[in-house]
Amino acid sequence: MNKINLLLLLALTSCLTLSAHARDKRDYHDMVYDSGCKTCHDQGAKRFPSDQACLQCHDMSELAEQTKREGHDAKQNPHDSMHYGQEAPCMECHGEHTPKQAICMDCHNFDYPKFKH
Amino acid sequence: MQTRRSFLKLGAGAAAAGALVPFATHASPSDIKWDEEHEIIIVGSGFAGLAAAVEAGKLGAKDVVVFEKLGVYGGNSTLNAGQACFANTDLQKKLGIEDSAELMVQDQLKSGRGYASEVLLRHSAELGPYIYQLTKDCGCIYRDHIINTGGTSATRSHQVVERSGSGFIRPMLKTARSYGVKTKIRHKFEGLITAKDGSVLGIKVRRGYHFGHEDSGELINVRALRGVLIATGGFGANVSFRQALDPNLGPEVGCTNARGATGDGLIAMLAEGAMPVHLSFIQSGPWASPDEGGFGYGAGFSLYNFPHSIAIDRSTGQRFMNETADRKTRADLEVQRRDKDGKPNPALLIAPKHEAQKDPSLENVLRYKVAWEFDSVEAIAKHFEVPLKPLKKQIEDWNTYVKAGEDPQFGKRMNMSTGIYLTPPFIVQRLWPKVHYCQGGIQINTKAEVIAAKTGKKIPGLYAAGEVSGGIHGVSRLGGCSTPECMAFGVTAARSMMKA
Repeated sequence: MNKINLLLLLALTSCLTLSAHARDKRDYHDMVYDSGCKTCHDQGAKRFPSDQACLQCHDMSELAEQTKREGHDAKQNPHDSMHYGQEAPCMECHGEHTPKQAICMDCHNFDYPKFKH
Repeated sequence: MQTRRSFLKLGAGAAAAGALVPFATHASPSDIKWDEEHEIIIVGSGFAGLAAAVEAGKLGAKDVVVFEKLGVYGGNSTLNAGQACFANTDLQKKLGIEDSAELMVQDQLKSGRGYASEVLLRHSAELGPYIYQLTKDCGCIYRDHIINTGGTSATRSHQVVERSGSGFIRPMLKTARSYGVKTKIRHKFEGLITAKDGSVLGIKVRRGYHFGHEDSGELINVRALRGVLIATGGFGANVSFRQALDPNLGPEVGCTNARGATGDGLIAMLAEGAMPVHLSFIQSGPWASPDEGGFGYGAGFSLYNFPHSIAIDRSTGQRFMNETADRKTRADLEVQRRDKDGKPNPALLIAPKHEAQKDPSLENVLRYKVAWEFDSVEAIAKHFEVPLKPLKKQIEDWNTYVKAGEDPQFGKRMNMSTGIYLTPPFIVQRLWPKVHYCQGGIQINTKAEVIAAKTGKKIPGLYAAGEVSGGIHGVSRLGGCSTPECMAFGVTAARSMMKA
């Protein structure tokens, strides 16, 4: 095997390891992984998915409804916030392969017990 | 199969393309491959950028674009307490407050300590009532209560009901879009494209940029037909840049700004020869809490309570400042509160609950552990290890000042604390300054045109407004006085570009 082929093989192996690693983190996205990286990486595998990618399956107004809060916490709905309304793109707070925290947490000690990175 | 030799060829080609980039930024318009073209380009979606977008729309601009590098709109502007100082409004008249643009200018000149620009302050103050109406026309809703901010001789800080800058940003964003303004997130400004004579033709933008991933997205060239407005805010979140200018502002001091406040626009304009002004004058917010990140909830709580509360040094149990002095005075004194080893020992703001509960921030600061309630002076002393006797004496003394309407200790203006005695239960918040605002920036004139360092004349096609412009406030900016200034110069820039 020449050097180039060896490099290619190594590169491929590391890709597989990466995706297996990512798959471990998010069981509920198994289906998406099975359909291939391009399901989310609509702009190519090496680039961030577009801000519309998650919205193929998730609906922002439905999410806003699901995370609705009452009374004092009403303004802390992360999917319909006082600062950004329903316009904050998913990737501002969520990472598929990298843990993240909600941007609200930059300034506020909020508690989002159901938050998944 | 690709050989090592062809790899090398490819590398050489890429290097040559890279070498061409500097030429492309100083060329005639015909030499540049333009990816987009707009009548007006606005960089930044905060107060200055959106005010410009709205005004340009009102004036009939057909093709305005606002580029925002973050994934969300509003930048730093959407995070503050939603206050704006206007002099001579109908709300002030209704509340019986006498004020004038001239008085506001005089207050700001005093706080600026001889460094503020009287002509730019006057331009901004005189536009105040217009901006107040413009924001109301956009759908911003003001509270009936006017806030008293430090260093003022009249109560003039009008506040939107959200008590956050988002109460300005979201209605303005909506209004701008109603005029057909295109708004684009994840577009990072990378630099100006200028002609050989230095006039600005357009900008380089990184489209599809994700914050913190500097190579993400791709570079495009965007041409401006009327002009480019840089409204990118300050550099408070750029620790190495701010510490180079003020060695006191290392990582120990937090920052209230949005993560995007890294000074990109300022640095690019300096690179094109814009006049730098007062870059070392960086202001810290004296109302910040070390018990939360960013601007948080503590700022709103302390802003409401400073007039009728006292700030205590934990080691002495005594006051150490006029709690309504200007920001620099207070922040400088607060940062000196240290323990024996020189480590930060944040001061305590002690407020009476009977008054604090009139403001909605009380519930937030208690819930998110930014402030705590105590039933007695003894309980405060015990919890924060403050010497009890002097603390008790200080509170008793303070109450006699409230009664007399005069503060012999620090000369605080007492008309905001009339009848408000410091009695239990108490609410206590810790105070430690955070970098909040960069008074310095590049120089503009009253047309929001950017001035060149070499000639003292305007750089054609280039406009700046908001925190990125410098020299307006001098040494210290008064609270609530940036919002109206950002909007005033945003509006001014739009007017100038529409005449260009």
